[in-house]
Amino acid sequence: MNVLRCLLQLVLYVPLMALVGTLSSKPAFTHVPPEQALVRLSVVHAAQRKVECRTRTQEELAKLSPNMRAAQDCPRERAPLVVELDIDGSLVYRRIAAPAGITKDGAASVYYRMLVPARAHQVAARLRDGPGEGFNFRKDARIELAPGGSLLIDFNAAQGGFLFRN
Amino acid sequence: MRAIQRAGQWVFLRVEAIFNLAFGDRLNPLYYLGPITYLLMWIVVGSGLYVYAFYKTGMAEAYASVEYLTVQQWWLGGVMRSVHRYASDAMALTMVLHLARHWMFDRYRGLRWFSWVSGVAVLWLVYVAGINGYMLPWDKMAQFVVIATAEWLDWLPVFNGTLVRNFILPENLNDRLFSLLSFIHIGVPLAVMALLWIHTQRVPQAKTSPPAPIAITLLAALVVLSLIKPALSQGEANLSHAVTVLDFDWFYLPVYALLYAWGAAPVWLLVAGGTVLLVALPWLPPRRRSAPVEGFHMLVRPDNRIIGVRDGETVLDAGLREGIAFPFECRNGGCGKCKADLAYGKAGLGAYQKSALSDEERAAGKVLLCCASPESDIQIEYLPQKTLGGIPARVWTASVESMEKLSSDVMRVFLKLDGGHRLAFYAGQYINVLLDNGEKRSFSFATAPHVNDRIELQIRRIPGGRFTTHVFERMKPGDPVRFEGPLGSFFLREEGGKPIIFVAGSTGFAPVKSMVEYAFHRNMRRRMILYWGVRSRRDLYLADLPRQWEKEHPEFRFVPVLSDPTPEDAWTGRTGLVHEAILADFPDLAQYQVYACGSVNMVEAAYPAFRTRGLSQDDCFSDAFRLAPKIRTGDTELVKLGGRA
Ligand code: HEM
Ligand code: FES
Repeated sequence: MNVLRCLLQLVLYVPLMALVGTLSSKPAFTHVPPEQALVRLSVVHAAQRKVECRTRTQEELAKLSPNMRAAQDCPRERAPLVVELDIDGSLVYRRIAAPAGITKDGAASVYYRMLVPARAHQVAARLRDGPGEGFNFRKDARIELAPGGSLLIDFNAAQGGFLFRN
Repeated sequence: MRAIQRAGQWVFLRVEAIFNLAFGDRLNPLYYLGPITYLLMWIVVGSGLYVYAFYKTGMAEAYASVEYLTVQQWWLGGVMRSVHRYASDAMALTMVLHLARHWMFDRYRGLRWFSWVSGVAVLWLVYVAGINGYMLPWDKMAQFVVIATAEWLDWLPVFNGTLVRNFILPENLNDRLFSLLSFIHIGVPLAVMALLWIHTQRVPQAKTSPPAPIAITLLAALVVLSLIKPALSQGEANLSHAVTVLDFDWFYLPVYALLYAWGAAPVWLLVAGGTVLLVALPWLPPRRRSAPVEGFHMLVRPDNRIIGVRDGETVLDAGLREGIAFPFECRNGGCGKCKADLAYGKAGLGAYQKSALSDEERAAGKVLLCCASPESDIQIEYLPQKTLGGIPARVWTASVESMEKLSSDVMRVFLKLDGGHRLAFYAGQYINVLLDNGEKRSFSFATAPHVNDRIELQIRRIPGGRFTTHVFERMKPGDPVRFEGPLGSFFLREEGGKPIIFVAGSTGFAPVKSMVEYAFHRNMRRRMILYWGVRSRRDLYLADLPRQWEKEHPEFRFVPVLSDPTPEDAWTGRTGLVHEAILADFPDLAQYQVYACGSVNMVEAAYPAFRTRGLSQDDCFSDAFRLAPKIRTGDTELVKLGGRA
């Protein structure tokens, strides 16, 4: 093999390997720009039943076949969840989420992700999980978001509703 | 689409020509994209095993254990980690080039759909494995990839926004997740290897590793790259912070960049649509059939075999599939090693380098077997470089040891090699006796390979034939004979257990004798039935021999069939054409192998009839076989085994 060939091989190999080495890390990918912060809202929650349980009357029970004679009549369908998010007083997200499952008796879930400028924001989240009007869970707080910071709005009814985690 | 393909071919051929200047046409990496991808996979697996030995599958330890390799053990662990990453990246690159080349050169339709579709599955799995790999070091990249994957999958109604909670809530993360991730990272590559094995199943004599110089250079280049630019982690994952700017792997992750530019639904559409399109591509648009359904046939010399070429197959692939020892190297029209003569018929020459086949050669009727596909029945003549199993063909000198007239027109001739040499061959192969005027006459070995101190030929007298007349009238013990051999790829296959039906016509008994004696010698114990078809009783020139085999070997049966018995024969046995006797005895041939040795006419009549009785193509062996229509060349007579005049 002569020198010229070796050189030519180098001339072909080096750029190829350089390509592999470069594209494996460059150009950089900007997921959250430096002066911004990430806000995510994640709710998985089983809403209230659409219709409340009702005690059956004696006559009703008598009509049912003996193995079906439960004292309470509980339709399993749950109400949809209604979730709203305000940032600095304006509505940025609203979603009505149907309960999961064929009989609509599962939990409903909501996930939303957005970028906001990194500074203090007034964040308000509202949720309704039953029939009727108005929101039965609310949280409103002023949150300081550093560049590249993250606010995770979680929901846990047992812990009193919305949790702002940052 | 044709236009893109033609443009792509142009680009590939130009770039390959440049690489040929540097690497020479035998070591051009671009001709080994598939094998190189294979090699890279092994490099990835090897380096991965090393890295995995130090990897700790825990929330707290994962990041630190990888950092330890990069920082403290940079000289080996760090290099291994970097090689693991760069080999994976290079693999994605060569895989896509490999895909592109097969597409551009229209080598993905017809029979190749099998490799293509399994290739698409491999493509998916390679991507799954590569993306999954980025989750393991638990740095910011891992955090990004894990969450992005969950956000992407969450678009699917089954998850519907619930999956991501496993990865954004610190309390939901645990060591089990890391065990799961590394389990996937081992399982998926295993699946890739299994699929790759399937992927090359239908490629005859597929190379799964590149030539050593390419392999060594590539490995060295990866190590050098790893030393110059080690693969690094990007700060430990921290779920309470957003991932901002990342050094990004554009080989594996472009889809993830799109995910945040377009949103989940369009990316799903792209990926699902792209996959469906890729899978369907071999049938899009439906191929206009240029060949008859059975494909064309080719007569291959010097093997004297007739082989079916399936639609879309190259001449090289068809020959290799049938065990012809065609020479080849690059398979991509670059090296010229597969050059041969197209002695008859028309063939599409395909796209190739001028340096491999010049215009003059082309005008003189040469073709590159790896690029050519028949457009009519054809005849190919090539120069054998090596024969089966590395037994080289060469010219030998021998002398006549003894002669014996077996019947009025069959002479048995024993040859002894000069200088006490012995010749290795396969049962069923033949030699070409070289005449003084440069002509050649083919005769099968009638001796079995283990009897290698002398060579038996059974020569039938052809009225007016120059050589056979010489044998009958002037040849005597002690005469010198020059011949070349062993030749041919019609030989007894020892694998498999199906019972064998031998069909011999006249001196077609010679190769059968070689095969049967060899089978007895090897104790093969397979059921064997010999149908020997001749005209009249006196043509059964060695009938006592198969009768004796029948007595000594319960697995062997002999059925002589006379087509034209004379009254003096007082024949009470089978009559008619030999293949008709077989058809009468075997309503179903699916569970048999057939070896047919005889005239073209016999094989030509027998083969289609056997096929309708369920005989598999792969179980039918013949010197002159798959001769479905009839090859239209003047050389048809050549196909006769046992010699011509
Ligand atoms: C890890 C990835 C892959 C490896 C290691 C690999 C390896 C190979 C090898 C060794 C061969 C035989 C020789 C050759 O033609 O180069 C081959 C053939 C082939 N591959 Fe792949 N391959 C991979 C992925 C793919 C993909 C993604 C596709 C396309 C979707 C593909 C399509 C084909 C086709 C069409 C053939 C030709 C079959 C023939 O000529 O009959 N391969 N591959
Ligand atoms: S094998 Fe190299 S040109 Fe055909």
